[in-house]
Amino acid sequence: MPIKVDYVVRETTSNLGRNITITLASIITVAVSLALVGASLMLRTGVENATARWQGGIEFVVFLRADASQTQIDAVQNELNSSPEVDSYQFVNKEEAYAEFKRLFADSPELVDSLDAGDLPPSFRVEPVNKEVDAVDSLGSQFTKSPGVERVVFASKTIRLIQQLSSRLTVGIFVVAAFLLGAAGLLILNTIRMAMFARRREIEVMKLVGATNWFIRVPFMVEGLVQGLVGAFLAIVALAAFKPFFQKWLPNPEDIPLVSGFTVGGGEMTFIFVTLGVVGILIGAIGAGVAVSRFLDV
Amino acid sequence: MITLENVTKTYKNSTIALRDANVEIAKGEFVFLVGASGSGKSTFIRLLNKSETPDEGHIYVAGKDIGQLSNWKVPFLRRNIGCVFQDFKLLPTKTVSENVAFALEVIGRPRSVIDAQVPAILDLVGLAHKAESFPDELSGGEQQRVSVARAFVNRPLILLADEPTGNLDPATSVGIMRLLDRINKTGTTVVMATHDRGIVDTMRRRVIELDRGSIVRDQARGVYE
Repeated sequence: MPIKVDYVVRETTSNLGRNITITLASIITVAVSLALVGASLMLRTGVENATARWQGGIEFVVFLRADASQTQIDAVQNELNSSPEVDSYQFVNKEEAYAEFKRLFADSPELVDSLDAGDLPPSFRVEPVNKEVDAVDSLGSQFTKSPGVERVVFASKTIRLIQQLSSRLTVGIFVVAAFLLGAAGLLILNTIRMAMFARRREIEVMKLVGATNWFIRVPFMVEGLVQGLVGAFLAIVALAAFKPFFQKWLPNPEDIPLVSGFTVGGGEMTFIFVTLGVVGILIGAIGAGVAVSRFLDV
Repeated sequence: MITLENVTKTYKNSTIALRDANVEIAKGEFVFLVGASGSGKSTFIRLLNKSETPDEGHIYVAGKDIGQLSNWKVPFLRRNIGCVFQDFKLLPTKTVSENVAFALEVIGRPRSVIDAQVPAILDLVGLAHKAESFPDELSGGEQQRVSVARAFVNRPLILLADEPTGNLDPATSVGIMRLLDRINKTGTTVVMATHDRGIVDTMRRRVIELDRGSIVRDQARGVYE
Protein backbone atom coordinates (compact mmCIF):
# COMPACT_ATOMS: atom_id res chain seq x y z
CA MET A 1 0.00 0.00 0.00
CA PRO A 2 1.49 3.36 -0.95
CA ILE A 3 1.89 5.87 1.85
CA LYS A 4 0.80 9.28 0.67
CA VAL A 5 3.45 11.97 0.86
CA ASP A 6 1.00 14.71 1.81
CA TYR A 7 -0.24 12.58 4.71
CA VAL A 8 3.27 12.08 6.06
CA VAL A 9 4.13 15.77 5.65
CA ARG A 10 0.95 16.83 7.43
CA GLU A 11 1.35 14.39 10.32
CA THR A 12 5.06 15.12 10.76
CA THR A 13 4.67 18.90 10.79
CA SER A 14 1.83 18.70 13.28
CA ASN A 15 3.90 16.37 15.50
CA LEU A 16 6.90 18.69 15.34
CA GLY A 17 4.74 21.71 16.13
CA ARG A 18 2.97 20.01 19.01
CA ASN A 19 6.20 19.44 20.95
CA ILE A 20 8.00 22.52 19.73
CA THR A 21 10.14 23.10 22.85
CA ILE A 22 11.51 19.59 23.19
CA THR A 23 11.90 19.38 19.41
CA LEU A 24 14.05 22.51 19.57
CA ALA A 25 16.04 21.01 22.44
CA SER A 26 16.90 17.92 20.42
CA ILE A 27 17.69 19.93 17.28
CA ILE A 28 20.01 22.24 19.23
CA THR A 29 21.75 19.29 20.89
CA VAL A 30 22.28 17.62 17.52
CA ALA A 31 23.55 20.92 16.09
CA VAL A 32 25.99 21.61 18.94
CA SER A 33 27.42 18.09 18.98
CA LEU A 34 27.77 17.94 15.21
CA ALA A 35 29.36 21.41 15.18
CA LEU A 36 31.94 20.09 17.66
CA VAL A 37 32.59 17.03 15.50
CA GLY A 38 32.93 19.29 12.46
CA ALA A 39 35.23 21.74 14.23
CA SER A 40 37.53 18.98 15.39
CA LEU A 41 37.59 17.48 11.90
CA MET A 42 38.50 20.92 10.55
CA LEU A 43 41.23 21.28 13.14
CA ARG A 44 42.65 17.89 12.29
CA THR A 45 42.52 18.53 8.57
CA GLY A 46 44.13 21.93 9.07
CA VAL A 47 47.00 20.50 11.09
CA GLU A 48 47.44 17.62 8.65
CA ASN A 49 47.68 20.06 5.78
CA ALA A 50 50.03 22.36 7.65
CA THR A 51 52.33 19.49 8.50
CA ALA A 52 51.70 17.53 5.32
CA ARG A 53 55.34 16.90 4.59
CA TRP A 54 56.05 15.74 8.14
CA GLN A 55 53.75 12.74 8.33
CA GLY A 56 54.65 9.11 8.74
CA GLY A 57 57.95 9.54 10.59
CA ILE A 58 59.54 11.95 8.09
CA GLU A 59 62.23 13.78 10.06
CA PHE A 60 63.96 15.91 7.45
CA VAL A 61 63.48 17.06 3.88
CA VAL A 62 66.32 17.51 1.41
CA PHE A 63 65.26 20.33 -0.92
CA LEU A 64 67.08 20.31 -4.23
CA ARG A 65 67.61 23.41 -6.29
CA ALA A 66 64.88 24.06 -8.80
CA ASP A 67 67.52 23.81 -11.53
CA ALA A 68 69.22 20.66 -10.17
CA SER A 69 70.25 18.29 -12.97
CA GLN A 70 69.07 14.71 -13.18
CA THR A 71 72.63 13.52 -12.48
CA GLN A 72 72.69 15.53 -9.24
CA ILE A 73 69.28 14.15 -8.22
CA ASP A 74 70.46 10.59 -8.94
CA ALA A 75 73.59 11.17 -6.88
CA VAL A 76 71.57 12.24 -3.84
CA GLN A 77 69.25 9.27 -4.34
CA ASN A 78 72.23 6.86 -4.46
CA GLU A 79 73.53 8.38 -1.28
CA LEU A 80 70.15 7.80 0.41
CA ASN A 81 69.96 4.25 -0.91
CA SER A 82 73.39 3.35 0.37
CA SER A 83 73.06 4.88 3.83
CA PRO A 84 72.16 2.28 6.51
CA GLU A 85 70.82 5.14 8.64
CA VAL A 86 67.96 5.82 6.21
CA ASP A 87 64.86 3.77 6.87
CA SER A 88 62.86 5.04 3.89
CA TYR A 89 62.51 8.11 1.74
CA GLN A 90 60.08 9.57 -0.72
CA PHE A 91 60.96 11.61 -3.79
CA VAL A 92 58.64 14.52 -4.54
CA ASN A 93 59.19 15.85 -8.04
CA LYS A 94 58.32 19.34 -9.25
CA GLU A 95 54.86 18.38 -10.48
CA GLU A 96 53.94 16.65 -7.22
CA ALA A 97 55.25 19.58 -5.20
CA TYR A 98 53.15 21.93 -7.32
CA ALA A 99 50.05 19.72 -6.97
CA GLU A 100 50.44 19.70 -3.20
CA PHE A 101 50.98 23.45 -3.17
CA LYS A 102 47.84 23.94 -5.21
CA ARG A 103 45.87 21.76 -2.84
CA LEU A 104 47.09 23.51 0.30
CA PHE A 105 46.59 27.00 -1.08
CA ALA A 106 43.39 26.33 -2.97
CA ASP A 107 41.84 29.23 -1.06
CA SER A 108 44.45 31.69 -2.33
CA PRO A 109 44.26 31.41 -6.12
CA GLU A 110 46.41 34.53 -6.63
CA LEU A 111 49.24 32.72 -4.84
CA VAL A 112 48.76 29.62 -6.96
CA ASP A 113 48.68 31.70 -10.15
CA SER A 114 51.91 33.45 -9.29
CA LEU A 115 53.80 30.15 -9.44
CA ASP A 116 54.02 27.36 -11.90
CA ALA A 117 55.35 23.82 -11.66
CA GLY A 118 58.90 24.88 -12.66
CA ASP A 119 59.30 27.23 -9.69
CA LEU A 120 58.98 24.64 -6.94
CA PRO A 121 62.01 22.59 -5.93
CA PRO A 122 61.92 18.80 -5.98
CA SER A 123 62.73 17.17 -2.66
CA PHE A 124 63.45 13.94 -0.80
CA ARG A 125 61.45 13.30 2.35
CA VAL A 126 63.53 11.07 4.60
CA GLU A 127 62.61 8.82 7.48
CA PRO A 128 65.74 7.87 9.41
CA VAL A 129 66.19 4.61 11.36
CA ASN A 130 67.23 6.45 14.51
CA LYS A 131 64.91 9.31 15.38
CA GLU A 132 66.99 10.84 18.19
CA VAL A 133 67.53 14.55 17.54
CA ASP A 134 71.34 14.28 17.36
CA ALA A 135 71.31 11.29 15.01
CA VAL A 136 68.79 12.99 12.71
CA ASP A 137 70.86 16.18 12.72
CA SER A 138 74.09 14.48 11.75
CA LEU A 139 72.46 12.33 9.07
CA GLY A 140 70.65 15.29 7.54
CA SER A 141 73.73 17.48 7.58
CA GLN A 142 75.57 15.00 5.33
CA PHE A 143 73.36 16.10 2.47
CA THR A 144 73.77 19.85 2.82
CA LYS A 145 77.04 19.83 0.90
CA SER A 146 75.94 17.52 -1.90
CA PRO A 147 75.79 19.19 -5.32
CA GLY A 148 72.33 20.33 -6.35
CA VAL A 149 71.01 20.50 -2.78
CA GLU A 150 69.47 23.83 -1.83
CA ARG A 151 69.05 23.12 1.86
CA VAL A 152 67.98 20.49 4.40
CA VAL A 153 65.00 21.24 6.63
CA PHE A 154 64.41 19.34 9.86
CA ALA A 155 61.15 18.59 11.58
CA SER A 156 61.33 20.64 14.70
CA LYS A 157 59.94 19.89 18.14
CA THR A 158 57.29 22.49 17.37
CA ILE A 159 55.85 20.36 14.58
CA ARG A 160 55.78 17.21 16.67
CA LEU A 161 54.13 19.23 19.42
CA ILE A 162 51.48 20.61 17.09
CA GLN A 163 50.72 17.17 15.72
CA GLN A 164 50.49 15.68 19.20
CA LEU A 165 48.37 18.51 20.54
CA SER A 166 45.97 18.35 17.64
CA SER A 167 45.54 14.60 17.84
CA ARG A 168 44.84 14.78 21.58
CA LEU A 169 42.50 17.70 21.12
CA THR A 170 40.69 15.83 18.34
CA VAL A 171 40.25 12.77 20.56
CA GLY A 172 39.03 14.95 23.45
CA ILE A 173 36.50 16.80 21.33
CA PHE A 174 35.33 13.54 19.77
CA VAL A 175 34.67 12.02 23.20
CA VAL A 176 32.64 15.05 24.28
CA ALA A 177 30.81 15.05 20.95
CA ALA A 178 30.05 11.33 21.25
CA PHE A 179 28.39 11.92 24.63
CA LEU A 180 26.45 14.86 23.23
CA LEU A 181 25.35 12.80 20.23
CA GLY A 182 24.17 10.08 22.60
CA ALA A 183 22.19 12.70 24.52
CA ALA A 184 20.80 14.00 21.23
CA GLY A 185 19.69 10.51 20.25
CA LEU A 186 17.94 10.04 23.61
CA LEU A 187 16.27 13.44 23.28
CA ILE A 188 14.97 12.57 19.82
CA LEU A 189 13.76 9.24 21.16
CA ASN A 190 11.85 11.00 23.92
CA THR A 191 10.46 13.67 21.63
CA ILE A 192 9.00 10.96 19.46
CA ARG A 193 7.75 9.05 22.45
CA MET A 194 5.91 12.18 23.54
CA ALA A 195 4.53 12.66 20.05
CA MET A 196 3.27 9.08 20.13
CA PHE A 197 1.72 9.64 23.55
CA ALA A 198 0.00 12.78 22.29
CA ARG A 199 -1.42 10.78 19.39
CA ARG A 200 -2.23 7.60 21.29
CA ARG A 201 -5.94 7.86 20.44
CA GLU A 202 -5.24 8.21 16.74
CA ILE A 203 -2.79 5.31 16.91
CA GLU A 204 -5.35 3.11 18.67
CA VAL A 205 -7.96 3.87 16.04
CA MET A 206 -5.47 3.34 13.22
CA LYS A 207 -4.64 -0.11 14.58
CA LEU A 208 -8.33 -0.95 14.97
CA VAL A 209 -9.28 -0.09 11.42
CA GLY A 210 -6.27 -1.90 9.99
CA ALA A 211 -3.64 0.71 9.14
CA THR A 212 -0.37 -1.08 8.44
CA ASN A 213 2.46 -0.84 10.94
CA TRP A 214 4.58 1.14 8.51
CA PHE A 215 1.76 3.55 7.85
CA ILE A 216 1.67 4.30 11.58
CA ARG A 217 5.44 4.37 11.99
CA VAL A 218 6.54 6.43 9.01
CA PRO A 219 5.46 9.89 10.24
CA PHE A 220 7.35 9.31 13.50
CA MET A 221 10.42 8.04 11.65
CA VAL A 222 10.34 11.10 9.41
CA GLU A 223 10.01 13.29 12.50
CA GLY A 224 13.26 11.85 13.90
CA LEU A 225 15.02 12.23 10.56
CA VAL A 226 13.90 15.85 10.26
CA GLN A 227 15.29 16.62 13.72
CA GLY A 228 18.64 15.01 12.89
CA LEU A 229 18.78 16.68 9.50
CA VAL A 230 17.85 20.16 10.74
CA GLY A 231 20.44 19.81 13.52
CA ALA A 232 23.09 18.82 10.98
CA PHE A 233 22.07 21.71 8.71
CA LEU A 234 22.45 24.22 11.58
CA ALA A 235 25.86 22.74 12.42
CA ILE A 236 26.95 23.08 8.78
CA VAL A 237 25.76 26.69 8.60
CA ALA A 238 27.60 27.48 11.85
CA LEU A 239 30.84 25.89 10.63
CA ALA A 240 30.66 27.60 7.25
CA ALA A 241 30.22 30.94 9.03
CA PHE A 242 33.01 30.09 11.46
CA LYS A 243 35.55 28.95 8.86
CA PRO A 244 37.08 32.39 8.04
CA PHE A 245 37.74 32.94 11.77
CA PHE A 246 39.20 29.45 12.09
CA GLN A 247 41.96 30.42 9.70
CA LYS A 248 42.62 33.68 11.52
CA TRP A 249 42.75 32.17 15.01
CA LEU A 250 45.31 29.54 14.15
CA PRO A 251 48.94 30.58 14.18
CA ASN A 252 50.13 32.30 11.05
CA PRO A 253 52.40 29.89 9.16
CA GLU A 254 55.03 32.61 8.89
CA ASP A 255 55.40 32.62 12.68
CA ILE A 256 56.22 28.94 12.74
CA PRO A 257 58.82 27.94 10.23
CA LEU A 258 58.56 24.75 8.22
CA VAL A 259 54.79 24.42 8.08
CA SER A 260 52.46 25.28 5.27
CA GLY A 261 49.24 27.16 6.01
CA PHE A 262 46.56 25.81 8.33
CA THR A 263 44.12 25.59 5.49
CA VAL A 264 41.09 23.44 4.98
CA GLY A 265 40.23 23.18 1.31
CA GLY A 266 36.77 23.39 -0.26
CA GLY A 267 36.71 19.67 -1.07
CA GLU A 268 37.67 18.83 2.49
CA MET A 269 34.92 21.10 3.85
CA THR A 270 32.42 19.35 1.58
CA PHE A 271 33.56 16.00 2.95
CA ILE A 272 33.15 17.26 6.53
CA PHE A 273 29.68 18.65 5.76
CA VAL A 274 28.56 15.41 4.13
CA THR A 275 29.87 13.49 7.16
CA LEU A 276 27.87 15.74 9.50
CA GLY A 277 24.73 15.32 7.40
CA VAL A 278 25.07 11.54 7.42
CA VAL A 279 25.72 11.43 11.18
CA GLY A 280 22.71 13.73 11.77
CA ILE A 281 20.45 11.49 9.72
CA LEU A 282 21.80 8.41 11.52
CA ILE A 283 21.18 9.89 14.97
CA GLY A 284 17.63 10.85 13.98
CA ALA A 285 16.96 7.45 12.42
CA ILE A 286 18.36 5.54 15.39
CA GLY A 287 16.46 7.64 17.96
CA ALA A 288 13.23 7.35 16.01
CA GLY A 289 13.79 3.70 15.18
CA VAL A 290 14.24 2.74 18.83
CA ALA A 291 11.21 4.84 19.79
CA VAL A 292 8.86 3.25 17.27
CA SER A 293 10.06 -0.28 17.93
CA ARG A 294 10.01 0.06 21.72
CA PHE A 295 7.01 2.26 22.39
CA LEU A 296 4.74 1.83 19.39
CA ASP A 297 3.14 -1.48 20.18
CA VAL A 298 1.94 -2.36 16.71
CA MET B 1 -17.29 -17.19 9.30
CA ILE B 2 -15.86 -17.54 12.83
CA THR B 3 -14.72 -20.80 14.45
CA LEU B 4 -13.15 -21.27 17.87
CA GLU B 5 -11.57 -24.67 18.53
CA ASN B 6 -10.60 -25.51 22.13
CA VAL B 7 -9.53 -21.93 22.74
CA THR B 8 -8.00 -21.12 26.11
CA LYS B 9 -6.66 -17.74 27.16
CA THR B 10 -4.96 -17.12 30.49
CA TYR B 11 -3.64 -13.70 31.53
CA LYS B 12 -0.31 -13.21 33.26
CA ASN B 13 -1.92 -12.96 36.69
CA SER B 14 -3.22 -16.49 35.99
CA THR B 15 -6.82 -15.34 35.52
CA ILE B 16 -8.45 -17.75 33.11
CA ALA B 17 -10.33 -15.48 30.72
CA LEU B 18 -11.51 -18.20 28.37
CA ARG B 19 -11.47 -21.94 29.01
CA ASP B 20 -11.65 -24.53 26.22
CA ALA B 21 -14.14 -22.57 24.12
CA ASN B 22 -15.70 -24.20 21.05
CA VAL B 23 -17.93 -21.93 18.99
CA GLU B 24 -19.06 -21.83 15.38
CA ILE B 25 -20.61 -18.64 14.05
CA ALA B 26 -22.03 -18.67 10.52
CA LYS B 27 -21.91 -15.82 8.02
CA GLY B 28 -24.68 -13.31 8.64
CA GLU B 29 -25.42 -14.45 12.19
CA PHE B 30 -26.17 -12.06 15.04
CA VAL B 31 -24.70 -13.30 18.33
CA PHE B 32 -24.99 -11.88 21.84
CA LEU B 33 -22.26 -12.64 24.37
CA VAL B 34 -23.65 -12.34 27.88
CA GLY B 35 -22.26 -12.95 31.36
CA ALA B 36 -21.10 -11.11 34.46
CA SER B 37 -18.18 -8.68 34.38
CA GLY B 38 -14.95 -10.66 34.13
CA SER B 39 -16.66 -13.68 32.57
CA GLY B 40 -14.51 -13.38 29.41
CA LYS B 41 -16.78 -11.53 26.97
CA SER B 42 -14.25 -8.84 26.11
CA THR B 43 -11.47 -11.41 25.77
CA PHE B 44 -13.68 -13.34 23.33
CA ILE B 45 -14.06 -10.17 21.22
CA ARG B 46 -10.38 -9.20 21.49
CA LEU B 47 -9.28 -12.65 20.35
CA LEU B 48 -11.30 -12.31 17.14
CA ASN B 49 -9.36 -9.30 15.80
CA LYS B 50 -6.05 -10.54 17.19
CA SER B 51 -5.77 -7.85 19.86
CA GLU B 52 -5.04 -10.93 22.00
CA THR B 53 -3.61 -14.30 20.99
CA PRO B 54 -4.90 -17.55 22.49
CA ASP B 55 -2.66 -19.77 24.63
CA GLU B 56 -4.23 -22.91 23.22
CA GLY B 57 -6.58 -23.81 20.41
CA HIS B 58 -7.29 -22.35 17.00
CA ILE B 59 -9.38 -19.42 15.83
CA TYR B 60 -10.54 -19.27 12.22
CA VAL B 61 -11.90 -16.04 10.79
CA ALA B 62 -13.17 -16.12 7.19
CA GLY B 63 -11.46 -19.49 6.73
CA LYS B 64 -8.03 -18.36 7.94
CA ASP B 65 -6.32 -19.61 11.09
CA ILE B 66 -5.52 -16.23 12.62
CA GLY B 67 -3.13 -17.82 15.12
CA GLN B 68 -0.84 -18.50 12.14
CA LEU B 69 -1.16 -14.94 10.86
CA SER B 70 2.15 -13.08 10.81
CA ASN B 71 2.17 -9.67 12.43
CA TRP B 72 2.29 -7.68 9.23
CA LYS B 73 -0.88 -9.36 7.99
CA VAL B 74 -2.93 -8.49 11.09
CA PRO B 75 -3.90 -5.04 9.71
CA PHE B 76 -5.42 -6.74 6.66
CA LEU B 77 -7.45 -9.03 8.92
CA ARG B 78 -8.72 -5.98 10.79
CA ARG B 79 -9.89 -4.31 7.60
CA ASN B 80 -12.51 -7.05 7.46
CA ILE B 81 -13.59 -6.52 11.06
CA GLY B 82 -15.34 -3.39 12.29
CA CYS B 83 -15.19 -2.59 16.00
CA VAL B 84 -17.54 -0.60 18.21
CA PHE B 85 -16.85 0.10 21.90
CA GLN B 86 -18.65 1.33 24.97
CA ASP B 87 -16.47 4.47 25.03
CA PHE B 88 -16.84 5.23 21.28
CA LYS B 89 -13.09 5.97 20.75
CA LEU B 90 -13.77 9.00 18.56
CA LEU B 91 -11.01 11.55 17.92
CA PRO B 92 -12.05 14.78 19.66
CA THR B 93 -10.04 17.03 17.33
CA LYS B 94 -11.77 15.77 14.21
CA THR B 95 -15.30 16.42 12.99
CA VAL B 96 -17.82 13.61 12.54
CA SER B 97 -17.08 13.35 8.86
CA GLU B 98 -13.30 13.51 9.45
CA ASN B 99 -13.55 10.77 12.07
CA VAL B 100 -15.21 8.45 9.57
CA ALA B 101 -12.92 9.53 6.72
CA PHE B 102 -9.88 8.83 8.95
CA ALA B 103 -10.68 5.11 8.97
CA LEU B 104 -10.53 5.03 5.17
CA GLU B 105 -7.61 7.42 4.89
CA VAL B 106 -5.26 5.36 7.06
CA ILE B 107 -5.84 2.22 5.02
CA GLY B 108 -4.88 4.13 1.91
CA ARG B 109 -8.25 4.57 0.21
CA PRO B 110 -8.18 7.23 -2.51
CA ARG B 111 -9.79 10.61 -1.87
CA SER B 112 -12.53 9.97 -4.43
CA VAL B 113 -13.65 6.82 -2.61
CA ILE B 114 -13.59 8.62 0.75
CA ASP B 115 -15.61 11.56 -0.62
CA ALA B 116 -18.22 9.18 -1.96
CA GLN B 117 -18.52 6.76 0.96
CA VAL B 118 -18.41 9.05 4.00
CA PRO B 119 -21.62 10.99 3.22
CA ALA B 120 -23.36 7.74 2.27
CA ILE B 121 -22.55 6.04 5.57
CA LEU B 122 -23.44 9.16 7.60
CA ASP B 123 -26.77 9.14 5.81
CA LEU B 124 -27.22 5.47 6.77
CA VAL B 125 -26.65 6.18 10.47
CA GLY B 126 -28.84 9.29 10.28
CA LEU B 127 -26.15 11.87 10.99
CA ALA B 128 -25.74 13.58 7.62
CA HIS B 129 -26.81 16.88 9.21
CA LYS B 130 -24.10 16.64 11.89
CA ALA B 131 -21.20 15.91 9.54
CA GLU B 132 -19.30 19.05 10.50
CA SER B 133 -19.92 18.79 14.27
CA PHE B 134 -17.26 17.72 16.72
CA PRO B 135 -17.84 14.64 18.92
CA ASP B 136 -18.25 16.67 22.13
CA GLU B 137 -21.10 18.58 20.47
CA LEU B 138 -23.05 15.32 20.07
CA SER B 139 -25.14 13.25 22.46
CA GLY B 140 -23.88 9.82 23.54
CA GLY B 141 -26.20 8.07 21.13
CA GLU B 142 -25.07 10.24 18.25
CA GLN B 143 -21.43 9.61 19.13
CA GLN B 144 -22.06 5.86 19.09
CA ARG B 145 -23.69 6.22 15.66
CA VAL B 146 -20.54 7.92 14.40
CA SER B 147 -18.50 5.07 15.83
CA VAL B 148 -20.74 2.52 14.10
CA ALA B 149 -20.41 4.50 10.86
CA ARG B 150 -16.62 4.39 11.20
CA ALA B 151 -16.67 0.65 11.89
CA PHE B 152 -18.93 -0.06 8.92
CA VAL B 153 -17.71 2.42 6.31
CA ASN B 154 -15.24 -0.10 4.94
CA ARG B 155 -18.07 -2.71 4.60
CA PRO B 156 -16.42 -5.32 6.84
CA LEU B 157 -17.50 -8.97 6.91
CA ILE B 158 -17.74 -8.92 10.69
CA LEU B 159 -18.80 -6.27 13.19
CA LEU B 160 -17.60 -6.69 16.78
CA ALA B 161 -19.35 -4.63 19.44
CA ASP B 162 -18.15 -4.57 23.05
CA GLU B 163 -21.05 -3.24 25.16
CA PRO B 164 -22.02 -0.62 22.57
CA THR B 165 -25.03 0.47 24.64
CA GLY B 166 -23.20 0.43 27.99
CA ASN B 167 -23.13 4.23 28.24
CA LEU B 168 -26.54 4.91 26.71
CA ASP B 169 -30.07 5.24 28.09
CA PRO B 170 -32.58 2.53 27.05
CA ALA B 171 -34.36 4.63 24.41
CA THR B 172 -31.08 5.60 22.74
CA SER B 173 -29.89 2.00 22.99
CA VAL B 174 -32.88 0.86 20.95
CA GLY B 175 -31.82 3.22 18.16
CA ILE B 176 -28.30 1.78 18.13
CA MET B 177 -29.67 -1.77 18.11
CA ARG B 178 -31.89 -0.94 15.11
CA LEU B 179 -28.78 0.28 13.35
CA LEU B 180 -26.81 -2.88 14.17
CA ASP B 181 -29.77 -4.95 13.05
CA ARG B 182 -29.83 -3.12 9.70
CA ILE B 183 -26.12 -3.72 9.28
CA ASN B 184 -26.63 -7.40 10.12
CA LYS B 185 -29.34 -7.61 7.44
CA THR B 186 -26.80 -6.55 4.80
CA GLY B 187 -25.05 -9.87 5.49
CA THR B 188 -22.50 -8.66 8.05
CA THR B 189 -21.86 -11.05 10.93
CA VAL B 190 -22.39 -9.22 14.25
CA VAL B 191 -20.92 -10.34 17.57
CA MET B 192 -21.98 -8.17 20.49
CA ALA B 193 -21.03 -8.42 24.15
CA THR B 194 -23.69 -6.90 26.39
CA HIS B 195 -25.17 -6.58 29.85
CA ASP B 196 -28.43 -5.23 28.54
CA ARG B 197 -31.14 -7.72 29.46
CA GLY B 198 -33.88 -5.72 27.74
CA ILE B 199 -32.10 -5.72 24.37
CA VAL B 200 -31.28 -9.43 24.44
CA ASP B 201 -34.80 -10.40 25.47
CA THR B 202 -36.39 -8.16 22.82
CA MET B 203 -34.22 -9.18 19.88
CA ARG B 204 -34.27 -12.94 20.51
CA ARG B 205 -31.04 -13.80 18.72
CA ARG B 206 -28.42 -16.45 19.42
CA VAL B 207 -27.05 -16.06 22.95
CA ILE B 208 -23.71 -17.38 24.20
CA GLU B 209 -23.37 -17.13 27.98
CA LEU B 210 -19.96 -17.09 29.63
CA ASP B 211 -19.24 -17.79 33.29
CA ARG B 212 -15.68 -17.34 34.59
CA GLY B 213 -14.27 -18.13 31.16
CA SER B 214 -16.43 -21.13 30.32
CA ILE B 215 -19.27 -21.24 27.82
CA VAL B 216 -22.24 -22.38 29.92
CA ARG B 217 -25.01 -21.80 27.38
CA ASP B 218 -25.29 -21.46 23.60
CA GLN B 219 -28.89 -20.96 22.61
CA ALA B 220 -30.54 -19.98 19.32
CA ARG B 221 -33.21 -17.24 19.68
CA GLY B 222 -32.23 -17.06 23.34
CA VAL B 223 -32.92 -14.75 26.25
CA TYR B 224 -30.61 -13.05 28.75
CA GLU B 225 -30.85 -15.85 31.31
